[in-house]
Amino acid sequence: MGLLYRVTSPPGRTVAGSWRGARRAEPAMAPRANGRGAVMGHSALATVGAASIQRLVDSITDLALIQLDRNAVVRGWHAAAEALTGYPASEAVGEPITLLYTDNDVAARRANADQRAATETGRHEFRGWLVRKDGARFWASVTFSPLRDDAGNPEGYLSVIRDLTDDRAGELALLSIEQMVDAITDYEVIRLDPDGVVRSWSEGARRLKGYSEEEIVGRSASLFYTEQDSRAGVLSREMETAARAGRVEAEGWRVRKDGSQFWCNMIMSPIRDAAGELLGYVRVGRDLTDQKEQTRLLQRQREEILELSTPVIQVWDNVLVLPVIGTLDSARAARLTESLLDRIAQIQAEVVILDISGVPAIDTDVAQHMLRTVEAARLMGTTSILSGVRPETAQSIVHLGIDLGTLRSRNSLKDALQLALGLVGAASSDRVSFDA
Amino acid sequence: MSQLLDNPNALTTPILGESDLLRIRSALRAEAQNVGMGLTAATKLITAGSELARNIVRYAVDGRGEVTIERIRDGDRHGVRVVFRDAGPGIADIDEAMRDGFSTAGSLGLGLPGTRRLVDEFAIDSEPGRGTTVVIAQWSR
Amino acid sequence: MRDQVPILRMGNDLLITLQGDLDDATVEHIEQVVTREVARASAAGALIDISGLAVVDSFVARVLARLVAMVRLLGAEATIVGIQPAVAITLVELGVPMGHVRTALNAEQGMAQLRGVRDESTSR
Repeated sequence: MGLLYRVTSPPGRTVAGSWRGARRAEPAMAPRANGRGAVMGHSALATVGAASIQRLVDSITDLALIQLDRNAVVRGWHAAAEALTGYPASEAVGEPITLLYTDNDVAARRANADQRAATETGRHEFRGWLVRKDGARFWASVTFSPLRDDAGNPEGYLSVIRDLTDDRAGELALLSIEQMVDAITDYEVIRLDPDGVVRSWSEGARRLKGYSEEEIVGRSASLFYTEQDSRAGVLSREMETAARAGRVEAEGWRVRKDGSQFWCNMIMSPIRDAAGELLGYVRVGRDLTDQKEQTRLLQRQREEILELSTPVIQVWDNVLVLPVIGTLDSARAARLTESLLDRIAQIQAEVVILDISGVPAIDTDVAQHMLRTVEAARLMGTTSILSGVRPETAQSIVHLGIDLGTLRSRNSLKDALQLALGLVGAASSDRVSFDA
Repeated sequence: MSQLLDNPNALTTPILGESDLLRIRSALRAEAQNVGMGLTAATKLITAGSELARNIVRYAVDGRGEVTIERIRDGDRHGVRVVFRDAGPGIADIDEAMRDGFSTAGSLGLGLPGTRRLVDEFAIDSEPGRGTTVVIAQWSR
Repeated sequence: MRDQVPILRMGNDLLITLQGDLDDATVEHIEQVVTREVARASAAGALIDISGLAVVDSFVARVLARLVAMVRLLGAEATIVGIQPAVAITLVELGVPMGHVRTALNAEQGMAQLRGVRDESTSR
């Protein structure tokens, strides 16, 4: 006997099998008296034998197919329905479908609403908790479809019930992940689709970028990039790299909702399904603007310390002395040259005295560095004098074959100063004699 | 040469002619500023970049080549890395070209020794017929 | 910018200001203007101010050297002024020979230097 149809062969006799007939016969469902197999509802299967329909229904094991009359009372049951709900047909048939509902739903007259919806729309589905015979709950999908006779009059409903317990576990897992993500407030954790459109947002993202979930979901992530970076296609290159390499890390200035910028450190990974298809990207980002500021401050401090250890002394209006103390590593040497040239520009120095009495031993590196400093100073119009050249130093310089060129040198600072003042003095006396 | 991640912030642009030199200098200045590079180090980097780019314009086939500019990081050190690639004639004797006699960057040769002195890291790979790749890097002090 | 090479006359000297991006066409134009003006003014000296150039690579350095040579051929003395500290360091490390190029910190010192040179040569 089929699910949808109650087929009777000889009148009055119901076919035994998985389809149990109604205990309380409803007049409208009584077999017709014409003797032939009466089929209710759909005449299309009139020629199909009752046995094969029965087999069809029996073969359906993962769905419960339940026939209900107009009052939503169970009229048709089968093995799968018993397996799912725990009620044998003898206990289910004749009971209203609310037998399976939770007390809450019964109280809310849910069944009425479901029936009405089904009648109006032709099919109604809801997801909710149902209760088995042993009281255990399970998450189910329940659909109601109205059944009509040949004339189109409603005769009852077909209810299909599917156990969603497995699916539900997945839904719950997703919910807790979302809650977890929202609990992270220092980092933004967001999801983009393969085109870079924001699909999910988080509390951390809202704090970082200023957009609320409603404002940003569905819009492109290129909103977060500066105009320059947008034009350069930085976002698409990041996505392309993530998809190709499995991960990308990038830093750069990003833009908040209010237009302000922050230095962002971001990691992006692709999300793929079991088949390896790209579903989108997950981005984790944080604001490093403070760290950047700190690094800059640290650098400035370091430079200041270096500067203190290589002081440039102004001894006359346009004369500077640079006492070179200790050994020179390349960082100190570079810093030395920079600060000297800056001071030259600052006070418009004409002469600079490089005093090397504090340098223990002269070698080609030190000499080369000094000569370059002297030449750079000359490009800025400054004459240099080397002072503090000790007897040992004089020997080393010649032995090493270092050519000082036109660089003048003196043994003592005093002599060098005298020379310097003479040079400066000579220039100014020249100026005095001009007419122009 | 310092290691770096596959960097999506790297910008590769073609070098076709003189007009690209200004653009490259501006881009280098911007990135140097981004990593907090001092004025002297930045000026050296930009000058080195200008030299190498000009070599491509002058000697590469139809002046064709490309440059990639990217920020690099090593712990809390930040820097800028620049890669110059060209399909030019290549250098027959790299040792000779790199010989450091404090020689001129000028009409005689490519000025590579001088360019090398300006930057913290320098690497060159070239073969006649295969073109030349020069990679330089400058860290912010 | 191509049409504008600021040239200021200061007594017998010219103050020429270079700025912006120097491509081949601009350089040619500058050379034409400078030589023309030096000749026209019978200038005794030319100060080439490059304080506006943040980057001077070997190409620009050679441009400057050539300008100086052209000015000298016209019987005038030339001085480069306004080389920035970072540029000075870079030029030295680059190894561009600037030994024959007279330099001064700024226009004022350059002017003084030119007069000093002139006085020297006239007093002999």
